[in-house]
Amino acid sequence: MVKTLETDGQVCPFPLVEAQNAIRDLSAGDELIINFDCTQATDAIPRWAAENGYPVTNFVKVGDAQWSITVQKA
Amino acid sequence: MPITGLLLGTALGFAMQRGRFCVTGAFRDVWISRNTRWLTAFMMVIAIQSAGIFALAALGVIDLQSKAFPWLATIVGAFIFGFAIVLAGGCATGTYYRSGEGLVGSWLALVFYALFSSIMKTGPLAQLTALLRGITVRQGNIYQTLGISPWVLVALLAAVVVIMARHHLARPGFKMAALPPEKTGLAHLLFEKPWGAFASAAVIGIIAIAAWPLSSATGRNDGLGITTPSANLIGFLTTGNIKLVDWGVYLVLGLLLGSFAAAKTSGEFRVRVPDAKQAVKSVAGGALMGVGASLAGGCTIGNAMVQTAQFSFQGWVAFGVMILGTGAAAKLTIRRTGSTAPAVAKPARSSVGV
Repeated sequence: MVKTLETDGQVCPFPLVEAQNAIRDLSAGDELIINFDCTQATDAIPRWAAENGYPVTNFVKVGDAQWSITVQKA
Repeated sequence: MPITGLLLGTALGFAMQRGRFCVTGAFRDVWISRNTRWLTAFMMVIAIQSAGIFALAALGVIDLQSKAFPWLATIVGAFIFGFAIVLAGGCATGTYYRSGEGLVGSWLALVFYALFSSIMKTGPLAQLTALLRGITVRQGNIYQTLGISPWVLVALLAAVVVIMARHHLARPGFKMAALPPEKTGLAHLLFEKPWGAFASAAVIGIIAIAAWPLSSATGRNDGLGITTPSANLIGFLTTGNIKLVDWGVYLVLGLLLGSFAAAKTSGEFRVRVPDAKQAVKSVAGGALMGVGASLAGGCTIGNAMVQTAQFSFQGWVAFGVMILGTGAAAKLTIRRTGSTAPAVAKPARSSVGV
């Protein structure tokens, strides 16, 4: 299953808090796409994924101050 | 030459934007994720600056003066400030550099922060500020009270920072996903690559040291400062009194320029409008930041980063109490949904949004 989380307009730490909440409902192997526009989250979200051992299957800058990261629940 | 303030401010704004150096985040993470990575980086800035300024003072380049400790105003103000930065979504410098990134919520917070600093420092509430800041104890700094050399404290602080930094750096096998690079060489390093907490701390520490002799040369005997310059900027804009435009005012203007330049060149500038709820929080947060910082005698920079480096009681008490204020605000406004969080009426998405 792939779930998409739109957090544009939310400043940190909320994109990360939302991601933490959303991934709880997913099963192992499911992917969570997080779209965000808070600069600090370019550090906070991949760090959170790494610390929890969740593989990042996609991480791109989609436009000016807009990013998308896909985290797989493991 | 007050223009050095503009240049140094530009460098600071650039470094903070590229480094994602967020003091609010550093204080908040202690509470919401029990993580001290950014707090360690923040303390590294204090330690680097401390070593630098006591060396400059020993060489006679700058003069470090100790003032009486306004304990009541510091405690009250620092708590208000610590609380307010969570609402505003950034401390004073954070608000400046996010303004440069195009966040309209930060523009609101910035205007109200500067306005309320002016109200508290030279406006109708100046007497209240003076009254509260008049309640003091004579002992102004830690090393004189203890009767020891400041270098003992510099060494102690450095040791603590090294231990904390080792804890965060010694993680074999830790690998974080990175964005695919689109630039190469120096352009990649300056305008794309994330600097990381500790490299940014080193750069900001050096900027904080440089601020002292550069500012003193213009007659402003102080290091980095945000609140008084912001109040002075309002004062100048409303009265036209050019004497208010000192090194510090150039510094904060530089912050805007530097962060805008950094964000623009790295494709991270975009005008972003907050929703109504966040706009209200930004205004309230900004106003309370002005009140808190004026009472406490400084923000996360002036107090928690610069006064601490001088080992003044005001600096360290403000530092500790700001973290408490941030914790109180984080507990009240940042809630996780799901089984581990306390039952709340609404999910985090709609009830928060700082």
